[in-house]
Amino acid sequence: MLEQTANGVCLAIEGLTKRFGGFYALNDVNVEVASGHIHALIGPNGAGKTTFFNLITGVLSADAGRILFEGRLVDDARPSNRTVKGIARTFQNIRLFPHLTVLETVMIGEHCRSYPSVWKALGKAVLQRPFGEAQEERTMRANALELLEFLGLAGQRDAKASDLAYGDQRKLEMARALATKPRLLLLDEPAAGMNPHETQELDEVITRIRDRGVTIVLVEHDMRLVMDISDRVTVLNFGTKIADGNPKEIQNNPTVIEAYLGEDVQL
Amino acid sequence: MLDGYTQSILIFTGINIIAAYSFYAPFKTGQVSLGQAGFMAVGAYASAILTQKFGLPFPVALAIGGVVAGIVGVVVGFPALRIKGVYLLLLTLGFSEIVQVIVLSWEYVGGAQGFRYISFNPHTLTYTAIIIVALILFFARIERSSLGRAMDSIHQDEVAAEVMGVDVVRIKLLAFGIGAMIAGLAGGLYAHHATFMDSTTFNIMLAVEILTFVVVGGGSTYWGPALGATVLTLLPEFLRTLREWLELLPVAWTNFFPVNRVYDFLHAFLDFENAKRLIVYGIILIVMMIVRPDGLLTRDSLRRLPFTRWKPGHA
Repeated sequence: MLEQTANGVCLAIEGLTKRFGGFYALNDVNVEVASGHIHALIGPNGAGKTTFFNLITGVLSADAGRILFEGRLVDDARPSNRTVKGIARTFQNIRLFPHLTVLETVMIGEHCRSYPSVWKALGKAVLQRPFGEAQEERTMRANALELLEFLGLAGQRDAKASDLAYGDQRKLEMARALATKPRLLLLDEPAAGMNPHETQELDEVITRIRDRGVTIVLVEHDMRLVMDISDRVTVLNFGTKIADGNPKEIQNNPTVIEAYLGEDVQL
Repeated sequence: MLDGYTQSILIFTGINIIAAYSFYAPFKTGQVSLGQAGFMAVGAYASAILTQKFGLPFPVALAIGGVVAGIVGVVVGFPALRIKGVYLLLLTLGFSEIVQVIVLSWEYVGGAQGFRYISFNPHTLTYTAIIIVALILFFARIERSSLGRAMDSIHQDEVAAEVMGVDVVRIKLLAFGIGAMIAGLAGGLYAHHATFMDSTTFNIMLAVEILTFVVVGGGSTYWGPALGATVLTLLPEFLRTLREWLELLPVAWTNFFPVNRVYDFLHAFLDFENAKRLIVYGIILIVMMIVRPDGLLTRDSLRRLPFTRWKPGHA
């Protein structure tokens, strides 16, 4: 856990607000994520963590507030444009493509890099040679295999995504997100449903992703994981930020202990 | 070289195959359209107007008819982007109805009397064959491409595909437009073969038939639409010849088990050679949904064939 306060700001959230009817899922939230950090976002169920991800990736649109990614305002209406800009995510409830193979799934993530326009994709598809494959396909396949190797899924590359074990499906989601070549990766409860051994492994995986130069925002309930690997932790409760600091500060913050974990709990 | 009857059967099979591919294109991105008959009407009327009123040669008129249908497809595709499932069915159905009403009330194209004396194209069979080959090559290439994979991902989880950077809006519009264009070509071919059409020619029943072709043949591979359209178009013909074959059975057998009378009963009841063949389609649809919901041909069944080994996903 390096204290990299000298780093630039990767993601700056200013006054982010989202209402569902009269209910504030997020209310005037300000967060700054430093480049190269693993930044955890914690809070009880319903605190607004997943909404936070949905707003950053454009799955939902904010009612107020600004999202700045690497100093530039992110206001694209469509999630795919934000992905192209370098923001990728995984889903809390796994959303893989059930009929694609593991390798094909990862190659979907690379599609937007190899084929920036639909016309190029269509042209390359129609004009391809009947046998053999295009240069783009070869590059995509090689990159995808490298990512599968990186996450330890290379042996299952031809399996259907939906046939993988639960923990492997989570890893495949990460591989698919990494294939979009993000500079910011949002992980939504990567340890959910994993056994302690798999969670241990996840520690290392997330750290290695960070070491590839990807800034990570992590929503997670597994406190050991969060406290072990995070450089900084932000705590949400009922849509508002109640604390922000390094893991040690958060563990000793009385407001956090009271609001999130109940009183008299030793973190 | 082919007698008129065989030629006519082949032409209708061919046009149905093309129509089935027009459904398959948007279906590959998860869009289920009941508007393909409407797009056929657009292509049919556009090309017939061009040959009859402007004296353009058939191939040019056919191509322009396809393009016009494609453009209309993109226009209809825009509102279709935001809706799915039953609502998309209703929207495309509504589009078909609008086309029918316009055709019915437009005196320029014959109004209620129908569009008559469209110039007959003697080479429809050749055109149909060329277009089918082109379509199969086209969809085979899409299947083996990154674009095809992206389309599959949209079909399977649109939100996830969008978040992974797939340009869902443009790809869906493209697929819808291509589908409409193919339908327009099918319509143009039909118009210049039948030489007559009116507002009921391209009705909702035709749209349902087109959907049935793909559901029966299988919508997950590009061979499925061709298979489904062929099987269902030839089925009435096959049943007709089956009756003749039954005559050849020894009398002793038919006395023991009167298959020919069972046939005659079914024939009188279902009338599967004519308008009521839709009853048979309905039964086939129900049976298919229970027995083989993914259609006759699926990706897995294709993988088992040795000559498809070179398909993507196996470096």
